[in-house]
Amino acid sequence: MIILQAEKLTHKFPDGTVAIKDIDLAISEGEFIVIAGSNGSGKTVFARHLNGLLKPTSGKILFFGEALAKNIINARKQIGLIFQNSDSQIVGQTVAEDVAFGPENLKTSASQVAKIVAEALEAVDLSQYAKQNPQLLSGGQKRKLAVAGVLAMKPKVIVFDEPFTGLDYPGVRQVLKQLVELHKSGHTIVLITHELEKTLAHADRLVVMDKGRIVLDGLPEEQIYKVAQYGIRLPEIGERGVGAMTWLS
Amino acid sequence: MAQLIAFNYFYRDSVIHSLDVRIKFVTMILFSAAIGRITSPNQFIGVSLILLAAMVLSRLPFAELFRQMRYFGLLILGIIVIHSFSVSGTKIAPIPGLTVEGFVLGLFFSWRLFLVIIICVIFTGTTALKQLRKGIEWFLHPIPFLPASRIATMINLVFVLIPMLFDQASEILDAQKARCIEVNRNPIRRIKYLTVPLLLQTFKRADELIMAMESRCYTEERTRPVFNIKMKDWIFLSLSVSIMAVVFF
Ligand SMILES: Nc1ncnc2c1ncn2[C@@H]1O[C@H](COP(=O)(O)OP(=O)(O)O)[C@@H](O)[C@H]1O
Ligand SMILES: [Mg+2]
Repeated sequence: MIILQAEKLTHKFPDGTVAIKDIDLAISEGEFIVIAGSNGSGKTVFARHLNGLLKPTSGKILFFGEALAKNIINARKQIGLIFQNSDSQIVGQTVAEDVAFGPENLKTSASQVAKIVAEALEAVDLSQYAKQNPQLLSGGQKRKLAVAGVLAMKPKVIVFDEPFTGLDYPGVRQVLKQLVELHKSGHTIVLITHELEKTLAHADRLVVMDKGRIVLDGLPEEQIYKVAQYGIRLPEIGERGVGAMTWLS
Repeated sequence: MAQLIAFNYFYRDSVIHSLDVRIKFVTMILFSAAIGRITSPNQFIGVSLILLAAMVLSRLPFAELFRQMRYFGLLILGIIVIHSFSVSGTKIAPIPGLTVEGFVLGLFFSWRLFLVIIICVIFTGTTALKQLRKGIEWFLHPIPFLPASRIATMINLVFVLIPMLFDQASEILDAQKARCIEVNRNPIRRIKYLTVPLLLQTFKRADELIMAMESRCYTEERTRPVFNIKMKDWIFLSLSVSIMAVVFF
C-alpha cells in the first residue's frame, strides 16, 4: 500500500533557485527509506513538502491517494517531521510541556494530553526528565525529545532530516536505536542522511538526490556502489556488505 | 555573570506557591489598590504586617533578595529627600527648606513603593511561568477580539527564546574575542559586529521555529488550561477581600 507519493514535484524559490525538480517517489507503508545527497541537493526542501510546510510550484503530494493539500492538519498529524536543528523546534519550558504542544494544538482534553505525554516520553526513554528544562538535555536527548513531540501526534510516517548532525557516538547510537524501534513498531520511516555507514543496514531502500533531482532509487545493496559520483562518501564494503553498515552492534 | 534572583521563580513547598494563580492575581491587584488608598500610619502598619506574614509563608529567600535589591534603598532615600525639601509646611529649624510635612509625605510615598515591590517579589517568586501563562490566558479569554491563546503562546516563546539569544550573543562575542576584536576600542564597530550576526541568526531561528510549530499543527484554538481550585484558595480570597473591605471603608 502506497502511503505517500510525490508526483512531478517541483519547487522554485522566489529568488529563482530551483531547489527540487520533477521528483517522482512512492513510499510504501512500513518502508524504511534512506534519502542521501550532498549539501544543497534539495533534501530539506523535499522533506518540507511531505507534510505541507512548503507548497510545490508544480506537481503534488498524495497521502493515501488523496491530495495532501486538501487536509493539511491531518497530514501534519500523520506525517511527523524531525528538523535538522532540534534546538529550534523546542517550544516548551519543560520537557513535558514541549511534548504537550502538539496535542494541545489539536484541542485534546487536558487529561488526555497528560496521558499522551507520559506515553511519548516513556517511548523515547525520557520520562525522568519530564520536569526539566529542555535546553539542559544532551544533543541526543534533544533529538529524542523532538521524536516524543512527534509521537504525541500518533503519526504513521516519521521523516528525520539529518538527525545525526552534531551528535557524539553515544548520541548517534541513541537516536539510531530509537529510529529502528519506531520502524519495528510499524511506523514508516524516511531518513535523510549522508552518513550511510551508520544507517544503511536498516534501510529497505536507498534514494539519492543530486541538484534537486532523484538520481538513484532502489535496493541499498544495488545502489550503494554508485553513490560516490554524487558527492556521497562510499562506505567501505566488507564481506557482510550493506548489512554491516550500522552503528548498532 | 552574577545571577540576579529578584523577580525569579523559586520552587518551595509553601501555601502561597500552591494557591491558584487566578486568586493570587486578584489578591495582588486588591493589595496594590489598597496600598494606593491607605493614608494613616495604622493602616500602613496593618498592611505591612499582612505582607510580612505573606513573606514568611512564602518561604522565599528574602535575606538574599533584599541584599540584591539594596540599590532600591538609594532610590527610596532619594524620594524621601526630594519630598522633604519640595513641600512647604512646618520648617525644621537647622536645615533650610526641610519640612515635616514633606518628610512624612516622602516617607509614606516610599513606603508604598516598597510594599508594591514586595508584592511583586512574592508574586513572581511563587508563580511558575506555566501558571502565569495559564492565568493570563484565563483572564484574557472572555475579552472579545483579543487572541488570549496567542498572547499566552507569545509570552511563553519569549521566555524560551531570551535565554537562547543570550547564549547566542555570548558565543558571538567569544568568537570575536578569539579574533582580537578587543584591540580596536571603537564601540560602534563592536556593536555592529555583534548586532548584525545576532539579528541574522535570530531571524533564521525564528523562521525555523515557525516551521517547527506549524508542522506540529499550531493553532490558536488550543486545549484550554485546567485549574484545580481548592477550599484554601477560596479561604485565602475571602480573607484578602475582607481585609481590603476594612481598609477601604
Ligand atoms: N528559502 C530559500 N530561498 C532560496 N533558496 C533556498 C531556500 N531554501 C533552500 N534554498 C536552496 O535550495 C537548495 C536546496 O536546499 P536544501 O533542501 O536545504 O538542501 P539540503 O539537501 O542540504 O537539505 C539549495 O540550493 C538552497 O540554497
Ligand atoms: Mg538539509
